[in-house]
Amino acid sequence: MAALQHSLTVRRLAKHYGQTRAVDDVTLTIGRGEFVTLLGPSGSGKTTILMAIAGFVQPTAGDILLDETPITPLPPERRNFGMVFQGYALFPHMTVAENVHFPLRVRNVARAEAERRVAEALDLVQLGPLKDRRPSQLSGGQQQRVALARALVFQPALLLLDEPLSALDKKLRAELQVELKALHRRVGLTFIYVTHDQEEALSMSDSIAILRDGRLVQEGPPGQLYERPATRFVADFLGKSNFLEGRIIERRADGFAYAVDGARFLQDGPAPPGETVLIALRPEKIAIAADGEAAANTVEGTIAAWSYFGTSFALVVATGAGTFQVTVPAWRCPVEPAEGRRVRLAWPADASVPVVPD
Amino acid sequence: MDRSAQAGPAANVLAWSVLLFLLLPITVVFPLSVTDQRFLSLPYEAPSLQHYVTFFTSERWLTSTWQSLVIAVFSTVLAVATGTLCAIGCWKLSTRLTDLVRVLMLLPIIVPSIVYALGIYRLWIRLDLLDTYLGIILVHGVTGIPYVMITVSATLANFDPRLEQAARSMGANLSQTLRWVIMPRVMPGIASGAIFAFIHSWDEAVLILFIASRALFTLPRRMWDGINENLDPVMAVAACVMMLLSMLLLAGDLWLRRKRDE
Repeated sequence: MAALQHSLTVRRLAKHYGQTRAVDDVTLTIGRGEFVTLLGPSGSGKTTILMAIAGFVQPTAGDILLDETPITPLPPERRNFGMVFQGYALFPHMTVAENVHFPLRVRNVARAEAERRVAEALDLVQLGPLKDRRPSQLSGGQQQRVALARALVFQPALLLLDEPLSALDKKLRAELQVELKALHRRVGLTFIYVTHDQEEALSMSDSIAILRDGRLVQEGPPGQLYERPATRFVADFLGKSNFLEGRIIERRADGFAYAVDGARFLQDGPAPPGETVLIALRPEKIAIAADGEAAANTVEGTIAAWSYFGTSFALVVATGAGTFQVTVPAWRCPVEPAEGRRVRLAWPADASVPVVPD
Repeated sequence: MDRSAQAGPAANVLAWSVLLFLLLPITVVFPLSVTDQRFLSLPYEAPSLQHYVTFFTSERWLTSTWQSLVIAVFSTVLAVATGTLCAIGCWKLSTRLTDLVRVLMLLPIIVPSIVYALGIYRLWIRLDLLDTYLGIILVHGVTGIPYVMITVSATLANFDPRLEQAARSMGANLSQTLRWVIMPRVMPGIASGAIFAFIHSWDEAVLILFIASRALFTLPRRMWDGINENLDPVMAVAACVMMLLSMLLLAGDLWLRRKRDE
């Protein structure tokens, strides 16, 4: 398997459309066999980067290298990258087997060999019995799998996926996320995945690159991005976050204290330079404290609104230090949620993280 | 709100009159063709097929039918080949210039054919193409291009450009993409365009009058001469034959469209 694995480097890539900078100086390295997700809202440039890697978009500046070889001048048909398109782009006039056979037909693969490989690819995505159907006779999830088989059957150097799950309903999407991840492990190829869905990115990727307005904001493993977001945008886009705008009132060796509207809170880790600080605090890291229970940070407030999600309650709590979004497990919830009820919120000094405002 | 969708009696009457106005002049040809008289009239005593016999045994009419068919087939091939390539080219490039090209290609059906015929006549004198198969096939082919352009462009407008990208991502070069992906998808449009281009040549009567003299006598021209010289009922038979072929082709086109929509 290792022989099939390739790394990809995007070096100082830029794509301008007139005055608009769709991609602006992005540098990114994707390791051999990694599952990397380009994550961002629409217009962040993630699809443009993928299309540049595929060869459909000619960059204004910068290079794309497969291992150490520049591939920027190569047309898409000579790059040998598998691609799963948004909406799948299956050929409607061909059967499932003919669709999967297409890349082999293009390469003049001998008949017996081609038939064996088509069958293999269809088995890989568990679609063998449906090989004589037309794409229009398949469900969305099945079409997605045909697209995968078709993109893998010719042993491509990389697999590029452009929002392959966006057209499916939530439950199926969750199932296919698990399948895709298992498939990645099985075939061992380098996967480059584009999505605007942060849950998809978190659940599947080895590494996530977050993009905004054509620029790379932060890159790293999902856990690191979620726990240590560098900017307000990342904290907000990847999961939910409360933001506390405070003034630093005390600096210590292992942390600092800051004030928000008269309330005083503690934060671990080095203090950022300057007088003000922006703190991101995940809703699920806030607990509802019993009376008299000690914690590094506490603040009292009243429940302004709440909703039930089966596994959890989402509370909106109005306090002297602003409004907090709080997520607490529904199972043995310490308080019965009710509008107007007084609660005491608590969180440790390492639960939150200072971020760069943007 | 429901009432707004229903046509009132006035609209119904109007719609039916328009329909009859379109259809009746055509239907009158059939009774004329089965007249038992020797001039253009409705049957006096009983309907007779004698003029059909004349049509299918007369060398003049059969030659005309054959000429019309040959000219229509070759001009259709010309119109389909050039029109399809032009439509695909414009679609692929899709710039402001190609929009202009698209409009230019429609000129033959915008410019009155009499104007067109005059221009062609002057040019064909110089090129020595008057009264030749090549001359009329070129003219019918060129004036048939718009029909192909329109139908092929319409199918291309519905063509998902990602299919082409998908083909290329799997390693297909331009020629393979064209043959295996684009062409099968636009085939119904090409077939439609071919049918219209064929009918266009098959019943074209103005250009042929300018270009032909002795050698070429297409069916429409033979009929035109017949009307001018004598009111021979065989003309009505010829009209019926022409209409029958056109209607069969249009039915074929409808069938193709329905098949495509399935």
